[in-house]
Amino acid sequence: MKTKKMKSQVKEARTAWAMLAPALVVLGVIQAYPILRTFWLSFHEMNLKRPQTGFPWIGLENYAKILSDSRAGEDIMFTLKFTIATVALELIIGFAAALIMNRAFKGRGLVRAAILVPWAIPTSVSAMMWKFIYNDQYGMFNDILYRLGIIDGYKAWLSTRSGSFMAMVITDVWKTAPYMALLLLAGLQVIDEGLYEAAKIDGANVFQRFFKITLPIVKPSLLVALLFRTLDAFRVFDLVSVLTGGANGTESIAMYAYKQLMTFLNFGYGSALAILIFIIVFGISLIYMCFLKKDLTAE
Amino acid sequence: MKKTMLRRATALGVIAAMTASQSAFVFADEENASGDKITLTFAFDEGVGTPTEEAIKAFNESQDKIEVQSYHLPQDANNLHDDFVNKMVSEDTSIDVMALDVVYVAEFASAGWIEALDDLYTEDELSAYLDGTVEGAKYDGKLYAAPWFTNASALFYRTDVLEDLGITEVPTTYQGWIDVYEKLGEDSGIDYAFCYQGAQSEAMVCNWVEFLASFGASVLDEDGNPTCNTQEAIDATQLMHDYIGTYAPEGTTTYAETESQQVFQEGKALTCRTWSGTWNTFNDAEQSEVAGKVGMTMLPVYNEGDTAHSCLGGLDLAVNTYIDDEHKEAAKTFIKWLSSEEEEKAFCLSSSQPPTVKAVYSDADVLEQIPFYTDFYSIIETGKGRPSTPDYSLLSDAIQRNVHAALTGETPVEDALNALQEEAEGLQ
Repeated sequence: MKTKKMKSQVKEARTAWAMLAPALVVLGVIQAYPILRTFWLSFHEMNLKRPQTGFPWIGLENYAKILSDSRAGEDIMFTLKFTIATVALELIIGFAAALIMNRAFKGRGLVRAAILVPWAIPTSVSAMMWKFIYNDQYGMFNDILYRLGIIDGYKAWLSTRSGSFMAMVITDVWKTAPYMALLLLAGLQVIDEGLYEAAKIDGANVFQRFFKITLPIVKPSLLVALLFRTLDAFRVFDLVSVLTGGANGTESIAMYAYKQLMTFLNFGYGSALAILIFIIVFGISLIYMCFLKKDLTAE
Repeated sequence: MKKTMLRRATALGVIAAMTASQSAFVFADEENASGDKITLTFAFDEGVGTPTEEAIKAFNESQDKIEVQSYHLPQDANNLHDDFVNKMVSEDTSIDVMALDVVYVAEFASAGWIEALDDLYTEDELSAYLDGTVEGAKYDGKLYAAPWFTNASALFYRTDVLEDLGITEVPTTYQGWIDVYEKLGEDSGIDYAFCYQGAQSEAMVCNWVEFLASFGASVLDEDGNPTCNTQEAIDATQLMHDYIGTYAPEGTTTYAETESQQVFQEGKALTCRTWSGTWNTFNDAEQSEVAGKVGMTMLPVYNEGDTAHSCLGGLDLAVNTYIDDEHKEAAKTFIKWLSSEEEEKAFCLSSSQPPTVKAVYSDADVLEQIPFYTDFYSIIETGKGRPSTPDYSLLSDAIQRNVHAALTGETPVEDALNALQEEAEGLQ
């Protein structure tokens, strides 16, 4: 009896592997190989414009170069600032939107669909659109502020450091706060209404109910949403490329890596920068995962 | 249950394999269909898509040995560059002939990705082409590409404004244009004397090179050493900076071609520096409010009597070095045909792109369709290419960052140019 069961288990496991094999092969080809190859390249001097010098192994030299490259440092600082600013704003706005959408009101379905529109537009397209909005001659942004009496003349928002940063944050928040809202809404929907009623009877006020009931239950979804957004924000590329082209101190580290690789044809150094992004993103994920795990095991 | 699923999976696999082999047969058939003809693939950007298709059709009908197929790419110099780089890095042979932006010829030649074309033209044949375009197609003294068409910037201006003010002589200096601008009344609707491109982009590099040239400065000297922080270069950059927010829109540092042309099209600017091909857009009543009131002249200079030098652009024809000898010979035949006087004339008529063969500019048919070529020839003849170096992309990036910081006022002009000079020296 027992052996028969074991046999069928072995057989089942084999079938499972056979079924998984195609997926694993695909993952290996499209994910593992490029990552390993980039890792390998990052230890080489590989300037495609100088094939005659060959592509020698130089160990950690590319990584040492990053440390003394002030441009890489500035780009990382900008990317961090951008990540913190956008994720924080997206969290606040997204949470507020999720709380509103969670309420039962007429036309809720329509609001839920409408709020997702910015998320559905490809980033490069929405960046292009916002570039028109910020235009100094006919931009809507100027028009609205001018009519409200906040500015006394049209301004070229994308021509200064602070203006470019602000414009970039607004555009990103506009586009991705809905995504945050959607993930949080899914978390909110599992909360039993009865909990709130019981708390009300016990005399808990609206803040107590939010911090003692809503927040703890929604926390796993919140952490997942934050993780996704942080990773995305840290790898920002298309928004920068279209809106400012990296001008006024808005070059992200992903954009610099792309330039080193595709524009300067410096595959060794560019790969090292790409690996650096990979390591940072991996580190951020680990931190979030720790919180998530703690949260899940605590329950 | 499981067995049936496995069977189904196997069956699916078999079907997939059969479909795959069938499509392989189809491919084989297509190869045979072209018979003894050599098939070439020509990659070019969508910006010249339709006229190029016409040229390819004419070539395919003109002979029966070579069949050229087209490969369209988006209209963006950087996109095009990156796509070609991707292919060349993997030694791809799917494209045989590339329409390569003139600034990348040196880079591709030094990487060994394109064929040297020393024997393509005789000395005599080569002298029929504009000097600037031939120089731009050379690397290390050797010709690596065939000049196909060129591009030069010019100063567009409002002819109606000059007429109203009774000015018969078109100004040649910046001050001359400012004087005209100062005479305008409040109701003219014109807010700016100049508009040009100052966004951190290749367009800004071209503008800056022109400002330098009008002061007699240049990015590199004749031996290829950087000369970015000479007094003339500082003065030129200072002037380019000072006009922004005074005589040119404050947003100039965010403008590439489209944004600046928009200002002119709406009638808000007296002049606009942009590529000659924009003539059609400016005079198209559907897109432009100033249609029919637009003239074209040389770029302004600072000191009376100096010569302005427009920045040359355009596309060259290059041959992929990884294809076999038979295809290389066919590719050379094709690009020689495409860059011949006759074909350049036809291409000029269908695309309005300035040709590289000098004689086309004085051709009666061409002049009838594009009358401004009489004035334009002197602009293009004095045009200068951007610095020719395999490290062009690095140099351009350094110019873009440092000069843009100077234009926005983020860094004082002299400091920015000193930083640029240092970076440029580091590339040597």
